[in-house]
Amino acid sequence: MSLFGSLDISGSGIDASQAWLNTTAGNIANMNDVSSTSQAAYGEQTPVFTPVGVAGQVGDGVTVASIQEGDTTGIVQFDPTSPVADAQGNVRVPDVQLGSQMVDMIQAQFDFQANTASFADAKTAYQSALTLGT
Amino acid sequence: MDGIVNVLQYAVDGVAQQQQATANNLANADTPGYTAQTVDFETSLQQALSSPSGGTAGVVVSADPTAAASDGNNVDTGTQLVDAQKETLQYQTMVDMLNAQFRLISGAAGGSFS
Repeated sequence: MSLFGSLDISGSGIDASQAWLNTTAGNIANMNDVSSTSQAAYGEQTPVFTPVGVAGQVGDGVTVASIQEGDTTGIVQFDPTSPVADAQGNVRVPDVQLGSQMVDMIQAQFDFQANTASFADAKTAYQSALTLGT
Repeated sequence: MDGIVNVLQYAVDGVAQQQQATANNLANADTPGYTAQTVDFETSLQQALSSPSGGTAGVVVSADPTAAASDGNNVDTGTQLVDAQKETLQYQTMVDMLNAQFRLISGAAGGSFS
């Protein structure tokens, strides 16, 4: 563990929460996408968090291993007025639920805040260590 | 294990490790399947201090036994945030005590007590 290790760990947590905020923002921005039934729908994106560290030792934070793309089958809807509607008047829309995205967003925001709080605590402790012997 | 400065030095490092574990638990608050870590240095320090022949104090990292939620993660964000505050205060207190010891040593060595 490096010098001021706690700060790096909280930083990794802040980065991970930021990635999660970004995917929820992207999902909400794309939830009204419309594509033709011959094409894939927008797939809901979810970051995959993985702990960093060696077993038996205090961990080194978290990392976003990958961004998982959800089901691109989407939902086939009847919308004959859409410019991309097929002969039957159907279009494909993403299977993104606003409710669950909002819940994810709030959770990511709380994670971000929790990591910021622990960053501040570690900083206070390290600052007091710098007063040693003065 | 003797001398208050040695004990404090050891305890400061122990609390720093605890703080790192807390930061790590918070960073992984939403990692599926993650098990929270706890760091114990107090038990071995206590043993080393109470045994007449001394002993070696060590840091033990273990898994938090709290039951996991449906995603296999058992980090309680509230508890961890309280721990983070507690550890910071503990750290500061011990640094203050170390500084007090250093002032005593410096005074005894003919320097200033303040």
